[in-house]
Amino acid sequence: MDVSSRSVEAYARLDSRDRRLASLVVGSVVVAFVAAFVQVSQGSYPTPLGTTFDVLTDPRILFDADVWAAILTGSDFPDWLSQSAIIVWSLRMPRVFIAALVGVNLSISGAVFQAVTRNELASPYILGVSGGAGLAVLVTLVFFTGASYVLPFAAALGGLVAFALVYAIAWQGGTNPVRLVLAGVVVATVFQSLQTGLFYFLDSTAVVKTAIAWTTGSLTGVGWAQFRLAIVPTLLVVPLLLLASRHLNVLLLGEETARSLGMPVEYVRFGLSTLAILAAATAVAVAGLVGFVGLVVPHAVRTAVGSDYRRLVVGSLFLGPALVLVADVVARLALMPIQVPVGVVTGVIGGPYFLYLMRRHGDFSEF
Amino acid sequence: MSHTDTTTEATEATETTEMTDRTEPGDDARGHDTDAKIHATDLRVGYPGLEEPVVDTETLVVPEGEVTALVGPNGSGKSTLLKALARHLDAEAGEVLIDGREIAAFGSKEFARELGMLSQHGSTPDGITVEELVGHGRYPYKGFLDGRTEDDREAIERAISLAGIEHLRGTDVGSLSGGQRQLVRIAMALAQETDTLLLDEPTTYLDLRHQLQVMEVIRTLNEERGVTVCIVLHDLTQAARFADYLVALRDGDIYDWGRPEDVVTEELLAEVFGVEATVEYGSEPRITPKRALE
Repeated sequence: MDVSSRSVEAYARLDSRDRRLASLVVGSVVVAFVAAFVQVSQGSYPTPLGTTFDVLTDPRILFDADVWAAILTGSDFPDWLSQSAIIVWSLRMPRVFIAALVGVNLSISGAVFQAVTRNELASPYILGVSGGAGLAVLVTLVFFTGASYVLPFAAALGGLVAFALVYAIAWQGGTNPVRLVLAGVVVATVFQSLQTGLFYFLDSTAVVKTAIAWTTGSLTGVGWAQFRLAIVPTLLVVPLLLLASRHLNVLLLGEETARSLGMPVEYVRFGLSTLAILAAATAVAVAGLVGFVGLVVPHAVRTAVGSDYRRLVVGSLFLGPALVLVADVVARLALMPIQVPVGVVTGVIGGPYFLYLMRRHGDFSEF
Repeated sequence: MSHTDTTTEATEATETTEMTDRTEPGDDARGHDTDAKIHATDLRVGYPGLEEPVVDTETLVVPEGEVTALVGPNGSGKSTLLKALARHLDAEAGEVLIDGREIAAFGSKEFARELGMLSQHGSTPDGITVEELVGHGRYPYKGFLDGRTEDDREAIERAISLAGIEHLRGTDVGSLSGGQRQLVRIAMALAQETDTLLLDEPTTYLDLRHQLQVMEVIRTLNEERGVTVCIVLHDLTQAARFADYLVALRDGDIYDWGRPEDVVTEELLAEVFGVEATVEYGSEPRITPKRALE
């Protein structure tokens, strides 16, 4: 009797965390849909809400092979679409989808790196990605002017190279979270300095703005092409990381304990880091270096559902897109006609969130 | 001057005891039929970046079904030796056999089903329940996608009840005291259901009551399930009272090993621990430290 009543109690507790996860997911979905709707209806050519709704739910558009072809292969949208439909489907909708993908990738990447480095203040950029991607973008802009179509690949590649470099520096017959983070600081510092130096070689304000857009993260001017670029790695990485959540939980127990439990720690850590870097690079390739999302989202989810990664990863998958969508609405519409990079907005939202945590916890030492 | 004299005498005395004490475990005075569970030969273990190995010893035997305690002063290589046995550190030279099989030959999960290790440092994340944490002990029994089976549930149940933490089952790990947390970590290692369990200073920083609880759990595990235990203990008195065998380490080498009453001597305290002390054996060993030697 005693035992069974205790397990009932345990289930009740489990339920409460699952309930919180469920409300988090539902809340995120609602927020994301509202933000997406605002994003596709408003702008320099505002479409009335009714019209937007009709355009979004019109079965003739939703089930049209040519529309799907335009989205998935990059062919032209069919001529019979109304002007509002064209604006919504070819200009504004891709931005919404890309914002969601960026949110997904950055937040699960951040969640993984917080487990891999066992540091809850880690972000997807902790292992040098930001430095590598930023430097690659600047190098491209300075030395290969006009080749702007290679920027997404340059950014992703730069991030991956920096990650490889960080791992190589940290490796000494094995590695550990502290060495990885320090190596990340080393690589990021050097690359960041080189990147800043290269700014002086940019010769026009327009190029400087492009450079800033990439290094702070922006979704201005993205189209279905970027969506097609980002969706494939996302569909690969997300299911794998969902499956890996049990391993993330064990990694969280500390290296020695994980090893005692029979985990080949170095392989698992490298594999998970690689997946997380792929996610981060995907986001960077389409949006540049959007800050704070990968740091704040897993953190916020953790305060709601605890540190079990089976819940944490799922929660991040939903809260991330919601945050980026809202931030992008603000970035695009708040200061019309000027658009600011979405990374500026996530930073402005993310900073105060940490202020709130500081006030609530007194200090960060408890993390 | 007189210190030096004592030391020299002690060294000579120890050399002779070493000769007589290093008998095969099979010739155990109690007549137990004890085989070596773990057998290490010519073991040399170091850390990357260090020239000198931290452990360099000829033979270490951990007898099957017994509790063996590793003792020695700070920096004598106890923890390093334990880590080498648990494959947390790769030995530079020598071999370690468990049940006669080289430990490097085991797959990582296979090894974790054979030998459990409770490290001194380990973190317990907040926001998960005690039961969930103990459940991680089943990790080596699972493939990439396996869920929790009936076997797992039973093993978790046994581990929780053996560690005496039934009342904490649904509690958030983050809200436990240090002593409770240690019992929960032990329960996690128990859920691994291994024949051998290594523990690195499991009682350090615990209050007296939790120290005794931890030791009782380990004793029960050994007596009721026949689990071979090898434990690093900081406190020599505790080790002498608790263990079947003691292995005393000095500067990375085994100085002496055998029954506690044979190993714990005034010479050992002077030679290995650098302490002048008296040792008395009544029903229990009693060590009274006097002062630190130069």
